[in-house]
Order: sequence, then structure tokens, then C-alpha cells
Amino acid sequence: MTAMRYLRLALVVLATLMQPSMLGAHEASLGVLEFREVRPGAFIGRWTMEPSIGAGRIDLRVPPHCFLRLPEMNCGQKGLVGSITITNLGANMSAVLIKVIPIAGEPRSYTISTANPVVSVLGTGAPTLEAWIELAKTYVNYGIDHILLGADHLLFVLGLIWIVGGGWRLVKTITAFTIGHSASLAAAAFGLIGVPERPLNACIALSIAFVGVEIVKQQRGTMGITARYPWAVAFTFGLVHGIGFASALAGLGLERSLLPAALLFFNIGVEIGQLAFVLLVLALIWAHRRLDAVVPRWGEALPAYAIGSVSMFWFFGRLVRVFAAI
Amino acid sequence: MKLKFRRGWIAAALLLAQGGAAEAHIVAARLGDFYMGALHPFTDLQDVILWTATGVLAGSLGASRGRWLILVFPLGLLVGLPLGRIFGAASAGLADAAMMLAIGLMLAAATRIPTSALCAISFGLAVMRGAANGADLGPDTDRVLFAAGLACVGYTIITLTMALTVVFRGTESDGSAPWRTIAVRALGGWIAAIGLMMASIVLAS
Amino acid sequence: MSLRMFRVISTAIVALALTQPAAFAHDQIGVAGGLFSGLLHPVTGIDHLIAMVAVGIWGAQLGAPAIWVLPITFPLVMAIGGVLGVLRIPLPMPEVVIAVSALVLGVAVATRLRLSFPVAAVIVAVFAVFHGHAHGAELPGSANPMAYGVGFVTATGLLHLGGIAIGTLTRWPAGERVIQGLGAGIAGLGCYFLAQGLGAIA
Repeated sequence: MTAMRYLRLALVVLATLMQPSMLGAHEASLGVLEFREVRPGAFIGRWTMEPSIGAGRIDLRVPPHCFLRLPEMNCGQKGLVGSITITNLGANMSAVLIKVIPIAGEPRSYTISTANPVVSVLGTGAPTLEAWIELAKTYVNYGIDHILLGADHLLFVLGLIWIVGGGWRLVKTITAFTIGHSASLAAAAFGLIGVPERPLNACIALSIAFVGVEIVKQQRGTMGITARYPWAVAFTFGLVHGIGFASALAGLGLERSLLPAALLFFNIGVEIGQLAFVLLVLALIWAHRRLDAVVPRWGEALPAYAIGSVSMFWFFGRLVRVFAAI
Repeated sequence: MKLKFRRGWIAAALLLAQGGAAEAHIVAARLGDFYMGALHPFTDLQDVILWTATGVLAGSLGASRGRWLILVFPLGLLVGLPLGRIFGAASAGLADAAMMLAIGLMLAAATRIPTSALCAISFGLAVMRGAANGADLGPDTDRVLFAAGLACVGYTIITLTMALTVVFRGTESDGSAPWRTIAVRALGGWIAAIGLMMASIVLAS
Repeated sequence: MSLRMFRVISTAIVALALTQPAAFAHDQIGVAGGLFSGLLHPVTGIDHLIAMVAVGIWGAQLGAPAIWVLPITFPLVMAIGGVLGVLRIPLPMPEVVIAVSALVLGVAVATRLRLSFPVAAVIVAVFAVFHGHAHGAELPGSANPMAYGVGFVTATGLLHLGGIAIGTLTRWPAGERVIQGLGAGIAGLGCYFLAQGLGAIA
């Protein structure tokens, strides 16, 4: 029993070391800022709960067409559409809740936090054209950011390219991966399936390790399942990765009526980023063939082992967090 | 207008169209230090011209000589990066211009320089440019990520430029048109001309 | 991808449109400003433009080795003139010589003047130095000299290529006539600029 307890303690310590920034956050303060629309496009703003560091020290940025001098904010004809951000959130200021109360329609709340420093406000009434453009811009970019910063997703795609090679087979495989992650992203975003985030992340890491093993198998002359049915493997793991994408959307506090559109734009962004990555990798493979600069025979297995090692490193790190959370 | 540049070539095209190193810094900062390192060379023309010139020179010498640069060039950048912190933002304008002139002349004259010399030149250039890229790094930048991004983009540009040059020139045996060789040499003449004028600007100021 | 490309193209157009009027003022900021003013400088000065195109055509008429030595060495020789301009070393009567260059090259193209290669090379080199000098004098004033230099070398090179492309028309008899007509036109414009330059002196 004692051994078990020590193990738990060790895991907690490890997890703490891995997430140092999360701990201090609880002492920091919260503020609530309310904007009440008095005329179309004109708002009166006031702090209903003033942050402890003082309201004057909050660097609030509103969309460029809005003129802000508290307590007044005037957005003119276009209305309050665009991104709102606070540039100086940090250790002593963790989150600001912004309430928008329009003349007609429901009040809305947006949370600006260190984890989510920019929120998109999509107008106070029914969605206008500007609101749609803003929504598309925000979520396409968000999708691109997400895939480009998701080293695990990119590594998985790299592994797939490595096994499948170029040509028609690759197109089919990448399409299968896309269909898989789009489907599960949609399902997770609408709340049809719910998977706890930490075990899921561990699974994603494990999927990359699987691809690494498949590369080694292929190099030894065994036809692995990925080499035979690449699209099936890509689709299955696409489902897993898609749920991971959804967790990025979850924290944005989007209203339900706009969710399908946001989801679509987010997915488009992810595909743009993924396509750019695939094209870049293919271009580099082509260049290496042209230059006759291929990995020498003794080092052939190195990339596979590198992929495997990195993914197993992630896997153990994420596993630790799973147990620490229990 | 928020500008978001993501991948090398698009980034290059957009940055040339939009300029403004500052904007690029803001964008890259949002995407993290890896992409800041990867986009930093595109914020001024020195890197774009010198890296392309090196790639074209190596490619014009043929795949068997050029291919070592795939490793040598990013390594040089990594070696140079910490040096930038030591020497600070010392002006390397004259060295850049001299390098441009030298590489341009070699390209224009179609010099068959040996592999070792090619590696030495490109390593020296990479160290110089690595130092220049590392000179104005803020204290809150993750240097490891920045270095990884810089090395990745160096590897990408050099590899792609070399391969494109090798393909463009073709091999002497397959009877590709002589104007292709001339075009590569003319590019060298242009680069040397730019280097010559830059050197005079540095000397005059 | 297409969305990106659309954005790239549209921003490029917008940037071009925004910098276009300022290009003549030679005082804009940043890489884009320097690049565009450098690119536009040789194109907007008609005297430079016609002389560069004429050099290309004449090179094509002379055939090898002029046709391939020209694009490689011309920018370099011009850069030497550029250095003189940057260092503020004055050349005698630059306006007049540039106008004369257009006149001489235009006549050479129109009459299909065949000089031996070294003589032709010296003539072109002298004119190149003068043209480079005019550009070089502008260089330190621009916000980003590097970008300006890149733009102006590229524009000059492209004008040569255009001239050489026109020059390949000599293979057909009708093309030959067109080229001679062009040469005569260039020579005429050269006369006009020469008169202007001399008038300015007098």
C-alpha cells in the first residue's frame, strides 16, 4: 500500500514539474466588464467586478473600427464585430469576463483568459455579413494555427507519407485521414461523443509510435497493416486525432447556433495547414531524390526510431498526467 | 489588417509584397518561437538573396558536390546563432556584401570550385547569417525552438534551391539548351552587382 | 491553398497599388518600398528604358559571344557605375551621355551595325557605367538601399531579356524590318532627350 502511495506522490510531483504555470493561476484575480448597448452600435461599459490590480491597468483592445474610452464605446454602423483582447494578462490577472447586453436579443458573455486571450465577438443581433467574415477569418486561422502547432498531428502525417510514398495512394490515405478527423471533430463538438482529454492525448502519442513500428516493419520486408490498408489505418487514427482537435474548440465558449459554421471554418483551416505541410514534405522528398541525397543504408531505420522515440516520450509524459489526475 | 503568413514560399512572397519586418515579428510571435525562427530570415533581403545564391551555386556544381550542404548549412546556422548573442547586433553589412559579390562572381564565371571549398564557403556564410539572425533576440524567446525553426528553414531553402537548380540546368549529357547555363550565370552576375553596390553603400556611410 | 494564393495575390496588388504613387517620391519605408521604387526606377525613366532594351536587341543582332556575355557582365559593369554614383564621384555630363547612348544604340540597331566584339563591348560598357551612375546616385537616399538595389538590378536584367527576346525576331525577314523600325524610333527618342539635355546646359 505504501509503495502505491509513493508512486502516486511521485506522479503528482512529476506532473507538477511538467505544468509549472498552471499552479500559480488560482491566486490571480478575475474581472467582469459589462457593455450595455444604448443606441445601435453605441455601448456604455462598466466594471461590475473590478479586478484587484485596478481597472485602469487592464490593456483592453477592441476591434479597430470601435472607439473606446470607458465608460463609452462606439462601434458605428458595423456594430460590435471583431476580436477583443487583453494584452497584459499574466501572473496577477488571470481572466476577464465580458458581458455584452444588446438592445434586442440575448446577453452574451465572453471569457478572456491567458489560455484564450482573444475572443471573437460576432455582433449583437442576427449574424450580419461582417459577422460571417469575422467568423470565417477567425476560425480558418485558428485551424491553421492549431495544426501547425500540433507537432503530434504533423508527425503522424509525416509517418504516413513515409510509409505510403507519393502518388495516388497518398492522396487516398490523406483523404481518409481527413474524413476520419472531420467526422470525429464534428461528433465531439456537438457533444455526441465525449472522451476525457488526457487519456486521448496519450492515445494520440501511441498512434504515432504505431506508425513508427510500421515503418520499421516495412523496412524489414514485412507487409504491415499500414502498408496494406493505409487508408483504413489513416481513417481509424483520424478519428482519434479529430477528437483531439475538438478539445481546442471546446474552450472558446461559442454559441450553439454558430457552432456548425465555426466547425466548418476550423476544419478548412486544419486542412489548409495539413495540405501545406504535405506539399512541403513532398517537395523536400523530391529534392532529396534529385540531389541523390538519400539516407545511407546503415541509417535507414533512424527516422523510424526517431519518430518512435519522440512519440513514446510524449506517451509517457501524458500517461503521467492521466494518473496524476485520478 | 492582420497578416498571417505560414509557409516558406508564401511567406516569402507576401513578405516581399508587404515588407515590414515588424509585422512579421508580431505574427510569428503568436505562432510560437519555432515559427519565429522559421520566418525571421524572411524579414530582410540579405538572407533571402544569400541563401538562394548559395543554393544556386551548389546546384550549378552538380548534385554530387552540392548535397553536403544539406547538412553543412543548417549546422552553420546553429553554430552562428549563439555567436550573435556574444557579438551583439554588430553590423555585418560589409561581410554580407562581400559574400554576395564573391558568390555572384563564382556563379557568373562558372568556377568549378571543389567540394571542400564549397562547404567551407557555405558554412562560413551560415555562421554569419546565423549570428545576424540571433543578434536581436529578446530575452523571452525560447532559443532552442528559435534555433530549430531557423535550422529547418535553412535546410528547406538550401535543399529546394539546389534541387531546382540541378533540374533547371539539366545534365551536360542530355543536351539541354545552353541558354539554361547562361541564365544561371546571368543570375550570378546580378547577385554580384547587388553585392558590389551594397559594399559601396557600407563604405560610403 | 487557393484561399492563401488569393490572399497573396490580392495583398500583392494592394501593396503595389499603395506604393505606386509613392514610388516617384523615393522616400517610402521598408523592403517593399525600396523594392518597388528600385523596380520602377529604370522603367519610369524613358531614356534608361529604351537604352536598356536597345542593348538587348543589339546583343541579339551581334550573336555569339555578345548575346551571352551581355546579360552576365552588364549588371556588373553597371554596378561599377553605381559605386561611383554612391561615392558621389561625378561623371561629365551624365544626362547628355545617357541621351547619346540611346541615340547611338538606336542607330546601331537600325543600321544593323556590325562591330568587332571588343569595340562593341567597350561602347556598351561606357554607357553601362553612366546608367549605373544615375541609379547609384539615388541609392543612399532610399529607405532600404538593399531592396532598391535588388529591384533596380532585376528590372534592368528583365529589360535586357526583353530586348534579347525582341532581337531574336531577326531570324525572320519581317521581324528584321520591325526591329530596324524600333531602332530608328529609339534613335529618334535619343535625339529628343539629347536636345533636352543640351538645352538644359545652354
